[in-house]
Amino acid sequence: MDLFLQRIFDGLFNGAIYASLAVAIVITFRTTGILNFAQGELATFSAYIALLLLNPGARTLTGSGLVSNLIPGTPWPVPVAICGAVVAGAAAGAFVERVVIRPLARAPDLSVVNVTIGLLILVNAVVVETWGLRGYLLESPFPTGADDYLGVGGARLRLETIGVWATLLAVLALLATVLRRTRLGLAFRAVTTNPESAELCGIPLGRTRFAGWVIAGALGALAATLVAHSVVLDPFMMLRLLIFSFAAATLGGLDSPGGAVVGGILIGLAQSLVPGYIPGIGSEVSLVPAVAAMLLVLLIRPTGLFGTRRVSRV
Amino acid sequence: MPDRRISPTVVWSAILAGAVVASTVVAVLVDPITLRSNSRIMVLALAVLGIVVATGQTGLVSLGHGAFVGTGAFATAVFVDDVGVPVLLAIPLAAGVAALFGGLVGIPALRLRGIQLALVTLGVAVVFPVVARQYPAWTGGVTGRPVQASLEPPGWMPAPFDESGSFRFLVCVLVCLAGFWLAYNLVHSSVGRAMRAVRDDDIAAAAYGVNRTTTKVGAFAFSAALAGVAGSLQVMLFPFVSHDQFDVFLSLRIYAAAIVGGVAYIVGAVLGVAALVIVPAINDALGLLESETAVFGLALIVLTFVAPGGLVELFLRGWERWRRMRQEPHVPDGDSADEAGPGEAPVLRPTAAARRLRGQR
Repeated sequence: MDLFLQRIFDGLFNGAIYASLAVAIVITFRTTGILNFAQGELATFSAYIALLLLNPGARTLTGSGLVSNLIPGTPWPVPVAICGAVVAGAAAGAFVERVVIRPLARAPDLSVVNVTIGLLILVNAVVVETWGLRGYLLESPFPTGADDYLGVGGARLRLETIGVWATLLAVLALLATVLRRTRLGLAFRAVTTNPESAELCGIPLGRTRFAGWVIAGALGALAATLVAHSVVLDPFMMLRLLIFSFAAATLGGLDSPGGAVVGGILIGLAQSLVPGYIPGIGSEVSLVPAVAAMLLVLLIRPTGLFGTRRVSRV
Repeated sequence: MPDRRISPTVVWSAILAGAVVASTVVAVLVDPITLRSNSRIMVLALAVLGIVVATGQTGLVSLGHGAFVGTGAFATAVFVDDVGVPVLLAIPLAAGVAALFGGLVGIPALRLRGIQLALVTLGVAVVFPVVARQYPAWTGGVTGRPVQASLEPPGWMPAPFDESGSFRFLVCVLVCLAGFWLAYNLVHSSVGRAMRAVRDDDIAAAAYGVNRTTTKVGAFAFSAALAGVAGSLQVMLFPFVSHDQFDVFLSLRIYAAAIVGGVAYIVGAVLGVAALVIVPAINDALGLLESETAVFGLALIVLTFVAPGGLVELFLRGWERWRRMRQEPHVPDGDSADEAGPGEAPVLRPTAAARRLRGQR
């Protein structure tokens, strides 16, 4: 029983991370109608920015340390560094939207897919060039010591898990408020429902999509900085998580942020429970349930649990 | 592009003869190690061709062809060493296994729009090496496995090809050629038309009596089989397989190569794989970047803006312009200004060459 609880807690931690990246993916998908394959890489990049802010003088760069010399002074406190990374992630999202995505607004879907795949490869290569292949330990903003846990029914609920969930819920509440109560949120919902009609009503299409990319970039950065402590920060960190998050987003329905959160939890739980209770699946192959879940959902219910069905005409 | 007055049979015979002559020259001139390392990338042309068939012709985006290459490679190792099948016979068997795997992955494609299949295949690409590690009996586990049986030239082979390295190179060239010939015939048949109909509008295609299920799954399985043959040839060139040869970046590079070369054209696969060989060579020579993958990422982005049809489109456009300049030498090329500035779709003229450009959707 304690083991079961423990696995659920572990799954919840991962689930929170998958959920936040999945929400980022869903927001991009809803506003621009494209899946951003580079979402994870932009997040990885932001996590390295956090690393840079936390260790200014340190030789974290493979090169001459030119960039690290540009940021003088003492290491930033962890929460502030994470905020810096979130800003960097938002800026990266903004840059990408402006420079490569917006000019392709009328281009075929495949072109946009190709561009995000190109970005994935490019950003990954740039990160490898700049920081090398070695892994770094990124500090967590939450207490992570061996004793920092709450005993629940014999299992350990780590404070880090509580912290990550508190952060995620706060951010989601903020996001929901913005979407429901503000003018931007109204524009956002109008654009996702019907871009052409929204534009005819005078809603600035470009600016709203831009906002979507900024929010997605920030969310991805948050996910990356929060998870980096428990997995090692290396150039391929988010590429692994991206699959889980894509699975979560697919499971919940690609156009439903709430569904993405539920999908994230389910995928996180599946990842920790399935290897534990189904013999022959080691923890190393925990990717398999995620991909299997994605396949199953797409086969049985392609719109996901909470997605809307699309009717197409010829 | 072959002139249409010449029959395809003649063209393919000429290509075959040219390939044999060219491989003879290459086998004589190039030292065995360079030959082998470049051939290992060259055979990926078949995997890139697989993307051309799946993505360019049928509209099924696959980011997982590296996994099919891996399937072909592992299957070859198992067939040759564990089952004892002759090496050359292992190629079609490996293709069959890869096709089976591809068909299984392709079945979701029936219900998915292109983008979601991209997700699934990306998942397959990430999972493949992890799963391959789990079955050491077949794949050699973490360390990989050497392949004992190898392809040796028969006694009657003439001069440059009686040595095993150059003989394997010749076999690879011929098998690749056979793959291209098959794909060419497929694309230029009623099946090819069905594939393009499904790509352009699958509901309309179904209304016209195209069987979407068999077309999509069949095209994807065929494209996976091509990738499987590439894996099989890799094993033949270098008798060692390991899970880490088939990571997600192999899949991404194969996809990028197809797009860069020109995903709507059979020739695009040749140009794409040429880029796979040439770009790292230039990069090494100039010492620009640690990883040549950055170049592919950049090329993917830039070409989407400049020439969405890839290098083939650039060549076709240049050829078209040169032809027009030759016809009216004194008239300046007035409408070159509308030739696709950044961010615009290229303006296509109703010439035969331009009509072929519509491929990319």
